[in-house]
Amino acid sequence: MAWFDTNLLSTLVFLPLLWAVIGLAVPAKASRFWAAAGALLTFGLSLLVYSRFQTDGAEFQLMESAEWLPSLGISYTLGIDGISLWLIMLTTFLMPIAIIGSFSAIEQRVKEYYFLLLSLETAMLGAFVSLDIFLFYVFWEAMLIPMYFMIGIWGGKERIYATMKFFLYTLVGSLLMLVAIFYLAYMHKQQFGSYSTLITDLYKLQLEGGTFWTAQSLIFLAFAAAFAVKVPLFPLHTWLPDAHVQAPTAGSVILAAILLKMGGYGFMRIAFPMLPMGVAYFQLAFMVLAAIAIVYGAWVAMVQPDIKKLVAYSSVSHMGYVVLGLFALDPISVSGSYYQMLNHGVSTGALFLLVGMIYERRHTREISAFGGITKVMPLFALVFMIVTLSSVALPGTNGFIGEFMILLGSWKANPGLTAIATTGVIFGAVYMLWMFQRVMFGPVTDHHNEELKDLNFRELAIMTPLIAAIFAMGIYPNFFFSKLNPSIDRMITRTMGKTGFKGLSGVARAATLPESHS
Amino acid sequence: MPNLPMINPQLLSMSPEQVQALMPYFLVCGGTIIALLACVLRVLSPKWPVFLLTLATCAVGICSSIGLLHNGTSVTLFNSMMVSDPFASFFNVLFLASAAITAMISFRYLDREKIQHPEYFVLLLFAAFGMMIMTSATDLVMVFIALELMSLSVYALVGFRRTDRRSNEAAMKYFILGSAASAVMLYGAAMLYGATGSMEIHAILQAIRTTPTLMTPLFTLGVWLVVAGFLFKVASVPFHMWMPDVYEGAPAPVTGFMTTGLKAAAFATFVRVFVSLGYGHALTETIQTHFHNILWVIAVLTMALGNFVALTQTNLKRMLGYSSIAHTGYLLVGLIAGSASDQGYAPMVVYLVAYSVMNLGAFIILTVLASRDDGGLNLPDLAGLSRRHPWLAFSMAVFLFSMAGIPPTAGFAAKYMIFSAGVQAGEIPLVVISVLCSAVSVYYYLRVLVYMYMRDPVGSPAASRMSAWSTVALAAMVAMTLQIGIMPARALSAAKKAVTSL
Repeated sequence: MAWFDTNLLSTLVFLPLLWAVIGLAVPAKASRFWAAAGALLTFGLSLLVYSRFQTDGAEFQLMESAEWLPSLGISYTLGIDGISLWLIMLTTFLMPIAIIGSFSAIEQRVKEYYFLLLSLETAMLGAFVSLDIFLFYVFWEAMLIPMYFMIGIWGGKERIYATMKFFLYTLVGSLLMLVAIFYLAYMHKQQFGSYSTLITDLYKLQLEGGTFWTAQSLIFLAFAAAFAVKVPLFPLHTWLPDAHVQAPTAGSVILAAILLKMGGYGFMRIAFPMLPMGVAYFQLAFMVLAAIAIVYGAWVAMVQPDIKKLVAYSSVSHMGYVVLGLFALDPISVSGSYYQMLNHGVSTGALFLLVGMIYERRHTREISAFGGITKVMPLFALVFMIVTLSSVALPGTNGFIGEFMILLGSWKANPGLTAIATTGVIFGAVYMLWMFQRVMFGPVTDHHNEELKDLNFRELAIMTPLIAAIFAMGIYPNFFFSKLNPSIDRMITRTMGKTGFKGLSGVARAATLPESHS
Repeated sequence: MPNLPMINPQLLSMSPEQVQALMPYFLVCGGTIIALLACVLRVLSPKWPVFLLTLATCAVGICSSIGLLHNGTSVTLFNSMMVSDPFASFFNVLFLASAAITAMISFRYLDREKIQHPEYFVLLLFAAFGMMIMTSATDLVMVFIALELMSLSVYALVGFRRTDRRSNEAAMKYFILGSAASAVMLYGAAMLYGATGSMEIHAILQAIRTTPTLMTPLFTLGVWLVVAGFLFKVASVPFHMWMPDVYEGAPAPVTGFMTTGLKAAAFATFVRVFVSLGYGHALTETIQTHFHNILWVIAVLTMALGNFVALTQTNLKRMLGYSSIAHTGYLLVGLIAGSASDQGYAPMVVYLVAYSVMNLGAFIILTVLASRDDGGLNLPDLAGLSRRHPWLAFSMAVFLFSMAGIPPTAGFAAKYMIFSAGVQAGEIPLVVISVLCSAVSVYYYLRVLVYMYMRDPVGSPAASRMSAWSTVALAAMVAMTLQIGIMPARALSAAKKAVTSL
């Protein structure tokens, strides 16, 4: 047990992979149950991690460290703070749901499918717990491989185009980040005498900044290239609708719910605290792009004839809020952004699952093919209603808390852009409710829809935890913020406290930190 | 008229250390000659004895080289014609391993192609022996002789499918262009002799150190001609024209051998000669900058051309040929960075090992999949391979991800080292270009995966059976690709040990 105690995070990260490898020997018929058991076990393990995490403990907890490539300063270092904790929980929480959700949809090459899903979980968890930037990069890139196969093998008609686009977009961004990593490790050698890729070591670097052709700005751009593609931020979002629409349901769920969060996580863990002057220099530009993403994503979503594509564009809009809140760099908006990432994971994940369920029944996702579904599938309609309302940020649901905090916090940084972003809330309600109305209400126009079966037990079983999460996060957010805020505060102090932060409202804001989140 | 050294009979006798240091060379040379003799034994079918002798020769050669590598001593041999040092031993292991694997995968291939002549294995051994000598040579004449021993054997191997026109064309083309390149190199060596009065690279270095005025245009031109010879062998732009045709025409296992052993040998010797001729420490600043700039341009062109042309290829052998050109470009980045970064040339050496492993692995698969006359190696022929041969497809995926530099594979670890050395050396623009080029490369590597995994099989291609030898070789390559990728520290420290003896 001693080994287990000191290697809790490693166990958590590699358990799904180990489970996946053993799963190759399990007969194909049983492999879905095997995978679901593995994902549930991982979730159980993550609850243990949660219980070991202390709110007022050290900055990084459950640390593990081992030498890896010492001559280049690379180590295998894991640890979590509040920022990683909730994303880990989100991952392990959604994974069993995604797996059980694919039980009926995946009929071909079942074994490979679950192998890839579980190995994807290892890569995602690995990225969230890495405290060494090299290790982070390894997991970050390794994540692409299972996703690439999932879209390419089990996807829709245009799957090959979509998966290539997804891979290449993300890869080009990541490779620029790799150059930035080389540079930072080298600067550590220049300033401290030895190579290091430890994230906490790199926080200590003093780099030039302030204008465009300085280390901070350029390195920030390199990191932003990787993170903004992943988020995805307008105008780098074009891979997302293709990938989402073509991916199998579980692929879309994980892509939307967790992979996109890697971008926001990267900004918070790496780009902001390491390169405060870079952030300051590009703050306005990113806020403008985020505002564009919010409004543009909503407008484009409004005219989509395909439900899945509509949800995909709504992701662009929702993730726009995340970026807006992050770059406003106000404690409230940053917490809100983080919360919005969790919300988006739950709500959009649920939406993709629901779209998948109706697609399995009707083999179409065209909005015009539906109408009056409430009458034939009342339970489905109820669940869809709750998720839709959470997505349009109705008070009482999780979406409200996140968007409200983002807009509140961003107002101080830039009222004009925040006002524009707020219109996105209205447009968001318009496209979601309009879609809901066209699909659910009115007479049953298509006779194919008359025979549709309502949700079965399995489908209800996977939707229930999501709905519970929607209300829990909407009604009692403090449960989440209590473990999160100390880490967010540290991150902001690091970003603002470093000399020379001349963001939109300057260093003065740092003074308001202690009174936040009261 | 300087006094020519008389051959002193004492120089011909060897001390026990020297004998020990020469052990791998003796063993491999002896094994080769026995194998050659065994070819003539027409009583029995000579294919098994010669094949097994080849493997045994490689095995003992590898063992004694590893022994020397652990010893870590440098011994000068034959009146400073050769040196047996860890650098040479390290590469000897690589050459012999790649020859052994090539032999293992060729055995059934030769039967299938009906060209089962035992001379094939002997030629392989001679080529490997040439590589060994070349990497340990410290005299330009010795370099030249070893280069020819290696090249002539490979010319014959390239044309081994005698009845196939493409194989003949490839051999002819390679022979003519290769001979021209060797001649250029020899000419360069002659100029260096004219400029400094010696062919021995340390003596040349000594000469220009003591009298920098010897760095005349004649000297520079001589160095450049020697370098051009090497650039031809490693197939960098603008000396790359032979490569795609030769790669496509040569029998698949020979192509694998060329991309690994031959390339590694050329690069290893390149580094030894280049460093010994004073790059990075003894040349005047003007000449140094001049060299640096030209190599910089060559590296960029090589990467760009290799990657962009590979995008349009549909034949796998040809595509890997262009990809090999691209990898030469990355290796040149390592060469440029080597003199100015604290890791030295170690990242480049690791890259050579990683590249050899993954490329040899890919060629094992091509050898297994090839139909008669190396047909059936176009992209559409791979459609649905993951259904027919799941493990072959998986292995190929590992190698392709590795070539594309995606973790957790050897290719990624090696790229990380080489590019981080580049950043240390202050070559940030070069590294950015390399990184973007490798992003381009991902497209054509992934396209193979698209065919293997995401398209349904067309028709019913003949089921290819793998011999046990190939299976073992393939498993070893997959394991090494992942091992170097996940635990790169050991490879790096071994490489460091090797390059410190330069």
